[in-house]
Amino acid sequence: MDGYLGSYAVLALLVLAGVGVVVVAMTGARLLSPSKPTREKLLTYECGVDPVGEGWAQSYVRYYVFTFLYVVFAVDAVFLFPWATIFAAPGFGLVTLGEMFVFLGFLAVGVLYAYRKGALTWV
Amino acid sequence: MVQSIDYAALAPALAAAIGALLVVLADLAGAGRRALDGLTLLTAGTGLATVFLLAAEGASRRTFCLSGGGCSYVADGFTLLIQGLVLAAAAIVVLLSSPVLTGDRLPTAEYHFLLLCAVTGAVTLGAARDLITLVVALEVVSLPVFALTAFPGRRPGGAAGRVAGEAALKLFLFSVVSTAVTLYGIALLYGVTGELQLDRLAAALARAGPGEPVAAVLTIAGFAFKVAAVPFHFWAPDVYQGAPVPVAAFLSVVSKSAGFAGLILVLAVGLRPYAETWSVLLGVLAATTMTWGNLVALRQRHAVRLLAWSSVAQSGYILAPLAIAHREPSLAVQATLVYLVIYAAMNLGAFGVVTAVSRRYARNELEDYRGLARSAPLAAAALGFFLICLAGLPPGLAGLFAKIAVFRAVVLGGAGWLAVILAINTVIGLYYYLAWAVRMLGVRAGEPRLAVPFPLGVATAVAAVVTVGLSVAPAGVFGLVPLALPLTP
Repeated sequence: MDGYLGSYAVLALLVLAGVGVVVVAMTGARLLSPSKPTREKLLTYECGVDPVGEGWAQSYVRYYVFTFLYVVFAVDAVFLFPWATIFAAPGFGLVTLGEMFVFLGFLAVGVLYAYRKGALTWV
Repeated sequence: MVQSIDYAALAPALAAAIGALLVVLADLAGAGRRALDGLTLLTAGTGLATVFLLAAEGASRRTFCLSGGGCSYVADGFTLLIQGLVLAAAAIVVLLSSPVLTGDRLPTAEYHFLLLCAVTGAVTLGAARDLITLVVALEVVSLPVFALTAFPGRRPGGAAGRVAGEAALKLFLFSVVSTAVTLYGIALLYGVTGELQLDRLAAALARAGPGEPVAAVLTIAGFAFKVAAVPFHFWAPDVYQGAPVPVAAFLSVVSKSAGFAGLILVLAVGLRPYAETWSVLLGVLAATTMTWGNLVALRQRHAVRLLAWSSVAQSGYILAPLAIAHREPSLAVQATLVYLVIYAAMNLGAFGVVTAVSRRYARNELEDYRGLARSAPLAAAALGFFLICLAGLPPGLAGLFAKIAVFRAVVLGGAGWLAVILAINTVIGLYYYLAWAVRMLGVRAGEPRLAVPFPLGVATAVAAVVTVGLSVAPAGVFGLVPLALPLTP
């Protein structure tokens, strides 16, 4: 239990114990329980509601516009928030303000490009 | 406090980034395909000019420094060598791309934008001296290449978009997994030492004594993926084949050089105290990489797949000197850099001719090269020369000198077993390079002349001139590389 890898031995034991619990519980249930399947019992359990339709659902590819805009503006926000807390502090000033607008300018070019190429139109 | 930033040191990276932005704006303003090609070339040229100016200045510049010493961005000899290599190779790739991107509705501007973004990452990687900058730069190299791989365009193997998509997805999955492993290694290193700057990390590891070899091994994994070292090479053949040929050239030279730059920085600066451990590991890695790459290359019938496996094998040769880095650190890094520079020139040249042939034979099999000596004598002569260089035979002296540099380092460093494996592999390599070269001399009736577009011709000629130059006067690169040393953290 010493040395560099020794500390991982506890982790390995824990993993083994975890696997053991699951295996024992499942095998125990399989051995002890009576098995009388009916059609209702074999249905997919969905919060007590009767399952309707198939498991395969389609979503519209056009929603990617939302995703796209979200990613662009989420990236803005991630950097804007920490910046907003310090840019008025002493030692920062116009340079800090300008730097953020350079960054926003880069993103704006991307949005402008997507807009001009028609990637933002609702199809 | 506002940091003072040395913009002169950042100039090559800034040039590439601003160029990428300008390409997008130029496309919005309605610039044509030729104008975009020109703008991208101009960007690479401007980057190269700044590299030369910084080199002429002589002193190494550093910026983004911590108050207690240790800088995140250093423009020293090593940095400038890598940046110059990457920018020159990128210019060649742009020339190769121009005749391939001829479809009407191809988003050419996006291709150039993505290319320049990846170049920005590679340029930054050479200068990065802390673990976070290294990983971010490595990702900036990788991300645009996923999209470039799936780019619609002429492909070898008559491959449709499906194959390209599959290639891009493979590259993506391999890349993210290996990055995750690297990040885990970095997290362990940071957890043990509390340092991210490479030189401070080395000092802290030396104080801590041996104890974190696992972290070192994990950190190396991501870079081993980038350079396609066995066992992280699985993506290479499929991706090279599925991607447009110029993108394959980009992967095998620019992205690989960036990977080697990162590997050298992490190993020779950051993990210096563990040199005893990782040099053994690198020796094994180099031996398996070159052997496996060469053995599988023997069985290839497809030109780009053969180049893919050959570039895996060449990665092995480039890695080999690092196996003696614990005894002769500067000799090891020097031999690696010499091989890297020469490899870039000869491999780009080979890709140039392969691109030209792929315009006629979409499948681009080795059999398609039969009779090339008649249908395009200059192209055939160039390809023959590059192949002989890759094999390392006279008159391809550049390749021979590169191999000698590696041999010398390995033997002087006392790794005799690796030298033996190197020698055996050189002989295996001879077979498939020469078999390809000899095929071009074969006769094929009724083969019309192969037209080589002007940009392709220029790109191949530049690569040929550089390779011949390195063959005649290898002192150029052998003299340049020591200037890149010692590595300043």
